[in-house]
Amino acid sequence: MPLKIDVKDLNLFYGDKQALFNVSLGFPEFQTTALMGPSGCGKSSLLRCLNRLNDIIPNVHIQGKVLLDKEDIYAPSLDVVELRTHVGMVFQKPNPFPHSIYENVAYGPRIHTLFKDKTELDEIVEKNLARAGLWDEVKDRLHQPATRLSGGQQQRLCIARAIAVNPEVILMDEPCSALDPIATARVEELIDELRERFTIVIVTHNLQQAARVSQQTAFFHSGHLVEAGETGALFTMPQDERTQGYITGRYG
Amino acid sequence: MTSSLKTRRRKEKWFRRMGFLSLCLALLFLGGILGKIVYTGYPAFFRTEVAAQAERPDLLNVHARYFLKENKKWITASDDVDMYYKHEVVGNLTPHQIQAIDSLKNQGQIRLVFNTGFFTHSDSREPELAGIWGGLIGSLLTLFVTFCTAFPIGIGTALYLEEFAPKNRFTNWVEANINNLAAVPSILFGLLGLVFFIHFLGLPRPSALVGGLTLGLMSLPVIVVATRAALSSVPPTLKEAALGLGATPLQVLFHHVVPMAMPGIMTGVILSLARALGETAPLLMIGMVAFIATPPSTFLDPTTVLPVQIFNWSRSSEMGFVENTSGAILVLLIVLAILNGIAIFIRKKFES
Ligand SMILES: Nc1ncnc2c1ncn2[C@@H]1O[C@H](COP(=O)(O)OP(=O)(O)O)[C@@H](O)[C@H]1O
Ligand SMILES: [Mg+2]
Repeated sequence: MPLKIDVKDLNLFYGDKQALFNVSLGFPEFQTTALMGPSGCGKSSLLRCLNRLNDIIPNVHIQGKVLLDKEDIYAPSLDVVELRTHVGMVFQKPNPFPHSIYENVAYGPRIHTLFKDKTELDEIVEKNLARAGLWDEVKDRLHQPATRLSGGQQQRLCIARAIAVNPEVILMDEPCSALDPIATARVEELIDELRERFTIVIVTHNLQQAARVSQQTAFFHSGHLVEAGETGALFTMPQDERTQGYITGRYG
Repeated sequence: MTSSLKTRRRKEKWFRRMGFLSLCLALLFLGGILGKIVYTGYPAFFRTEVAAQAERPDLLNVHARYFLKENKKWITASDDVDMYYKHEVVGNLTPHQIQAIDSLKNQGQIRLVFNTGFFTHSDSREPELAGIWGGLIGSLLTLFVTFCTAFPIGIGTALYLEEFAPKNRFTNWVEANINNLAAVPSILFGLLGLVFFIHFLGLPRPSALVGGLTLGLMSLPVIVVATRAALSSVPPTLKEAALGLGATPLQVLFHHVVPMAMPGIMTGVILSLARALGETAPLLMIGMVAFIATPPSTFLDPTTVLPVQIFNWSRSSEMGFVENTSGAILVLLIVLAILNGIAIFIRKKFES
């Protein structure tokens, strides 16, 4: 598998405080990579480096390289807005816009004018809601406020919204942590389906979840990448005792 | 354990009682003030009229004769008669005049009607002719100037400070000062207006333009603070969602942040305009105290505003003006209540 994203010697600082130390990690194309580790170890920080969402935080400063299709996304010539159309994101808490279900999915295509006319936009909305497994549940109430959906439906709507701009990579920051077990199962299934077309990076605290949805897992501890490898192998034969401790539940 | 629980309960009870008591006290004062104003002010909405008849109808044109014979011609009575008829206050009336009024009353030749002139006339030296029209128009023009200056500048400042300004010592200093300005006594803004708009720029003294600009200065910090509060209450997760989809910062601002903050912004703007509408002190400071008997037709004409007119009337000792003062206060209160009602309506409507 070729690497879709390649992180090389990444150091990240919030002001004087260093949050990531020399992280080097490759993300294979059309695979799901799980980022794991105790709270505050820098998983979200790394994730937000991949679509440069850290740029909006004042005083953040970054050393090292992040290559997307062999191109440095921190190169001065790169257009951040365009980068984010290639690298979509789903957040921890479902955050639909306070508009209709339809408008949520249509927003991305609208700002990037990905359609010629209303019929084509309708098609885009339907296709992406269907891909997110939400079409049948919402097709009769597309123009109702998205905030009236359940938490799990909102999260799938956010996924539909993210994939509607045809990204190549989807970043997910603990996408199920605010959902009940049934909604979680639904989203996990979806992630597994999406892998055919997208490269996925998911932050999770849940070992079973990582085992179910990911092919590769990277384990972090206080800003350092401890180890990374094929998910099954990492869980059954962790090389580092910190990984072992986390997996056996000694801390978390 | 149980005893401490008891004292805690007792304390809570005591606290609740004190709260209830202070609420009652506040309501009592409010009711007292409102009651007094309504009681003194509502007769101002009525006017005494006397039926007039011609001494020699035979000398008149046939139409006029017919008119005067068949229909009485009702004419506004003097303020002394008005006061006597409404409140039995003798005032400057001679016993002979009082007798005449009493006999008119018995013949049904004197009556009370709704005082439309109170709303359609401008100020006058005669209380029975004085109205609030000039003050209302003046307030409208002044408020328009205030809105046109304070709204765009205030929103622009707030947007810049909240969304674009780098967080450094200078912007912190500016922010702190704006917060302090919002609490500065309004009369100081009058002083600033006097020095800057009148002495420095040489704008015409009691005009709606100068009044509006001065009130604009006063409203500006309040609008900035309210707008920033509204902007910062937009959840950052929504901004991130839009940014994550590839929206530019400007698109995020105008597609998501501003629309979501709009109810809060509008509430702040309306409330600050309501405050400007009721403001007197800074306008007195810039010399808007003149007696003005014609409503302004441009922003540069000599202008008076409702609260200043109330202030002027309240300094008059004539009974008619005492009544008018309370009547005008009632009108001002109603306008303010409507503005506040609109603000509450907007907030409620967008909250859901
Ligand atoms: N905006 C920020 N400013 C300063 N420090 C931050 C910020 N975001 C995260 N951090 C710090 O960086 C470290 C890593 O945080 P994060 O990436 O959110 O961890 P995780 O997602 O693994 O729980 C933590 O110590 C956290 O306190
Ligand atoms: Mg996190």
